[in-house]
Amino acid sequence: MALDFEFRKQVMDYHIGSDLIKYCYQCSRCADNCPITAVTTDFYTTTGYNPRSNILNALLGYKDAIFNADPLTIWGCTVCDTCDEVCPQNIELTEIFTFLKNQSIAAGNGPDFVYAQAEAIFESAKAIPSQPAIERRREQLGLPPVAAPDVSEFQTLLKNIGTQRKLK
Amino acid sequence: MRGMIKKMTEFKMFEGCTIGNRIPFIEAASRRVFDKVGIETSQTNFSCCPDPTGMKSFDNDAWLVIGARNLCLAEAEGKNIISLCNGCTNTLRGVQYQLKHDSWKMDKVNKELAKIGKEYKGTIDIKHFVDVLSDNLDKVKGAITKPLDGLKVAVHPGCHYMRPAEWMESDDPMRPTTLKKLVEASGASVVDYGEEILCCGSAVTNAYEEHGFANLKIKMDAIKKSGADVIAVNCPACYQQFDTRQKDLGKKYETEYDTPVMYITELYALAMGFTPDDIGLKFHRVRLKSTLEKLGL
Repeated sequence: MALDFEFRKQVMDYHIGSDLIKYCYQCSRCADNCPITAVTTDFYTTTGYNPRSNILNALLGYKDAIFNADPLTIWGCTVCDTCDEVCPQNIELTEIFTFLKNQSIAAGNGPDFVYAQAEAIFESAKAIPSQPAIERRREQLGLPPVAAPDVSEFQTLLKNIGTQRKLK
Repeated sequence: MRGMIKKMTEFKMFEGCTIGNRIPFIEAASRRVFDKVGIETSQTNFSCCPDPTGMKSFDNDAWLVIGARNLCLAEAEGKNIISLCNGCTNTLRGVQYQLKHDSWKMDKVNKELAKIGKEYKGTIDIKHFVDVLSDNLDKVKGAITKPLDGLKVAVHPGCHYMRPAEWMESDDPMRPTTLKKLVEASGASVVDYGEEILCCGSAVTNAYEEHGFANLKIKMDAIKKSGADVIAVNCPACYQQFDTRQKDLGKKYETEYDTPVMYITELYALAMGFTPDDIGLKFHRVRLKSTLEKLGL
């Protein structure tokens, strides 16, 4: 398995407290407390979603073990931030996993729903666009209309940083 | 004494995409409760926060600039934000935190915002509505005219209300208590079920339904065993996960799951004398008939 030093550097740079990740001693508290590890792995946690091995592989630069594996390796994370709280070394695991997901998306390998949501947000500046039926319901409930966002300004912002190019 | 009556400052309302454009009855209950408690709000044309599980996973830079742009809109009016949603609060507080602690990100974001004539300064704060209600608990108690005596409630504060603790700064991230206190203030009683901090699984269910359902089963089995009449929540993603997916969960595992799900502000609205019709309770998927009967409504 090849080491990718550039990837390793990116992982290190991503962490706000950048040297913390180096002090992971693989205690497995993250995996022991992960709700998705609990429902996807066997007793020895050799299969399924495992935050501990993701941190190890990211730290060592084993890019292939992360990106050329079952997408569950990255996308099994449900973003509950429990691992961040239980880590004895205060490693911001979820931030590292965000970086891995961003890389997976840029390579076109993310789950369909993530692309679909990003598309909806790009098109309407809302994850869930306004619909006539709901607008009527708001009125019936005595609610003011939702203030419409400036979609054009919003799209300019996203085009400038290259987000649009990552859409499918 | 006049000097002791502190006028509450007005917040910018951040109802979020899900509540505003899909389940507005939750906004209706929340606004009615805010009126009773004296929490003043006004609107601004915010965009999607954006979602801390979806859009952040898609592109963290986009998450930062969109979030910062929303913060600029509130900054322009010099008002703090009150959010009705865990995800929106988590994003806006997270963006604020990352930009405060990472000058490289701050420079990058402001370079982009300058192109649309904006600058993020970091001058306003973002509050989850649960914390605002908690800060005004005396006023909440004062507005309750029909206490929910006898109602047994299982609380689910939801991950993003309290984690990561560094940027949420709200409750104990692993042993949360605020939502329990709010429920107790309504006259209802809290039942412990042992899985209070377990994630609802909303994010993973979108990509891997079977794993999301396996997780949801653990949560729902514990709630069912506790004998709770209702699940109290303060997040629209958690609300939808419980309200819309219990039926499918029951089909998959051949077990009946039918515990009603209510926003804490819906419970409060009933306790403050509003009728189920005032706040659109008929729009819930899991029927509230048994709960309302128990409350004599």
